[in-house]
Amino acid sequence: MEEDLRTNQKGAILAVKDLPTLPGVLQEVAVLVENPNSSTDQISKAISKDQVLSAKVLKMVNSPIYGFPGRIGSIQHALVLLGFNVIKGIIISTSVFDVMNENMKGLWEHSLGCALASSAIARAIGCKDPEEYAVAGLLHDIGKVVAAVQLPESRAAIDALVLEKDISYRQAESEVLGFAHDRINLWLCNYWNLPANLKEGLSYHHRPMSATLYPKIAQVVHVGNFLARLFGVGNGGDNQVSALDEGVLEALEITPEVLFKIMDGLEREFVDLA
Amino acid sequence: MKDGKHFFLVTSDAKLEGSLRALWPEEEVKWTCFARGSSALEFLFSEPPDLLVVDEQLPDLAGVDLVRLIKGENVYRQLPVVLCLASEDLAELQDFSTLEIDDFLVKPFSPPIAKGRLILAYHRSTRELDASPLTKLPGNTSIIHRIQDLIDRQEDFALVYIDLDHFKSFNDKYGFSRGDEVLLMTARVIVNSIRGFMGANTFVGHVGGDDFVFIVPREKAESACQQVIDNFDSIVPHFYDQEDRARGAIHSLDRKGKEQVFPLMAISIAVVLNRGGKLKHFGEASQIAMNLKKEAKKNPKSCYVMDKRASA
Repeated sequence: MEEDLRTNQKGAILAVKDLPTLPGVLQEVAVLVENPNSSTDQISKAISKDQVLSAKVLKMVNSPIYGFPGRIGSIQHALVLLGFNVIKGIIISTSVFDVMNENMKGLWEHSLGCALASSAIARAIGCKDPEEYAVAGLLHDIGKVVAAVQLPESRAAIDALVLEKDISYRQAESEVLGFAHDRINLWLCNYWNLPANLKEGLSYHHRPMSATLYPKIAQVVHVGNFLARLFGVGNGGDNQVSALDEGVLEALEITPEVLFKIMDGLEREFVDLA
Repeated sequence: MKDGKHFFLVTSDAKLEGSLRALWPEEEVKWTCFARGSSALEFLFSEPPDLLVVDEQLPDLAGVDLVRLIKGENVYRQLPVVLCLASEDLAELQDFSTLEIDDFLVKPFSPPIAKGRLILAYHRSTRELDASPLTKLPGNTSIIHRIQDLIDRQEDFALVYIDLDHFKSFNDKYGFSRGDEVLLMTARVIVNSIRGFMGANTFVGHVGGDDFVFIVPREKAESACQQVIDNFDSIVPHFYDQEDRARGAIHSLDRKGKEQVFPLMAISIAVVLNRGGKLKHFGEASQIAMNLKKEAKKNPKSCYVMDKRASA
């Protein structure tokens, strides 16, 4: 089993324990699961709105218990394989942290924005399984949530540093913890046995040109994150628009025309989101 | 009992915890105790213990509901579960026939009785069941018994046989452990697709290898088959390596050792309908199914073939 993650701060350690989730979505999913007429499509859509619940579902279906670790990357497939009973169990066991609801709401919307953008990009450039890109987009900042909930003092120090030095949340994380959320993502992905493509998407979205196995997913999430920031959807922890890595658009063969088309479509989707 | 067993206890009753912990030395049985059902669930699903003891009276949910959540899953069916009741609970709990516990204890109990019961429950569960060791689904004995029982009672039902196309070539190329992954996935897909049609006569069994069976009410058969096919077809590509998946085929050796190209796996389904007591014997059903399956196999894509004689 993966070790806990030791930070630069004295005594501050990240441990994969109960993760927080949003009560609204949790309730919605719980109601759907109880109703025998609900489709897996409805339920997976509802679950997809919550990054922590999504992560738990994927973690469960990719655990060795079901016998196919590291194979399943979409919530829809996870639902078919887990069944409603297990989903119910996951919901019951998922503790509700008020911290998450109050402090991380902006991050959740940012993540949802990034998910929408990532799947729009994936569709525009003809990737198979755009829903996996959406999952990667949704989970790309999960490390921030885990760190914030488990280490509230570090969170406060990071927030203070962002304001004081006007740097990005990621830079502040590195100064306080010794690493940033993309490193935390990698640790979580290993711990949860997530498929390699999601792992790369989550842990390389800030260094998309360094991803080796599935560079495309890291690149798409990188651009998705950039677009979500550009449109100001939600809050990623600082006021900055993330820098677009050089060469990413070329690597994905996204011409300016394609990019504008994606942005036009997203503008409408983001309005629905608000 | 051999050393190193890991038991879970779910209770908020400190006295109960104390008396159970005292039964064995730490190196023989390690207890993990949860005060709430919800906090136990996550660990039960991800790191099942060797035995589970549940107090009926929990602060957040009833012990029996916790048991139902766990035992509703074939994956966890072998986990032995002992329920701890107060004597007033016992009067209310009438329906032991549907409650999937392996034993129960009534508080207060004497330590030797508790110890004996727990040992018994643990060993009973480890004895061989008529279940596929891989998928834990009921095996041939249970399948035949179930079908013959329905036939004898002259009930209408649809008996559905499923097998995988091109499973052998997948196994040959990727190895049997990845073949097993596909079988486990198939079992989950069937179980969860059929669960939507819950009601009388619903049953899923694993004949062996890549052969599965399920039983549903006749009028539900077609939509059940369609759902199994849709779910299987959308998930199975994820079990191939990137390049094979992109190509939509694998290069592998045929039975004669010649290189051949095989398409991605699909499923062939044969549906035998029993109507008005037409079938007399289990053998008849399986004979009809085998003939229908040949028909289904002619289609390279996933498909199902219905028993036409019954619908005439």
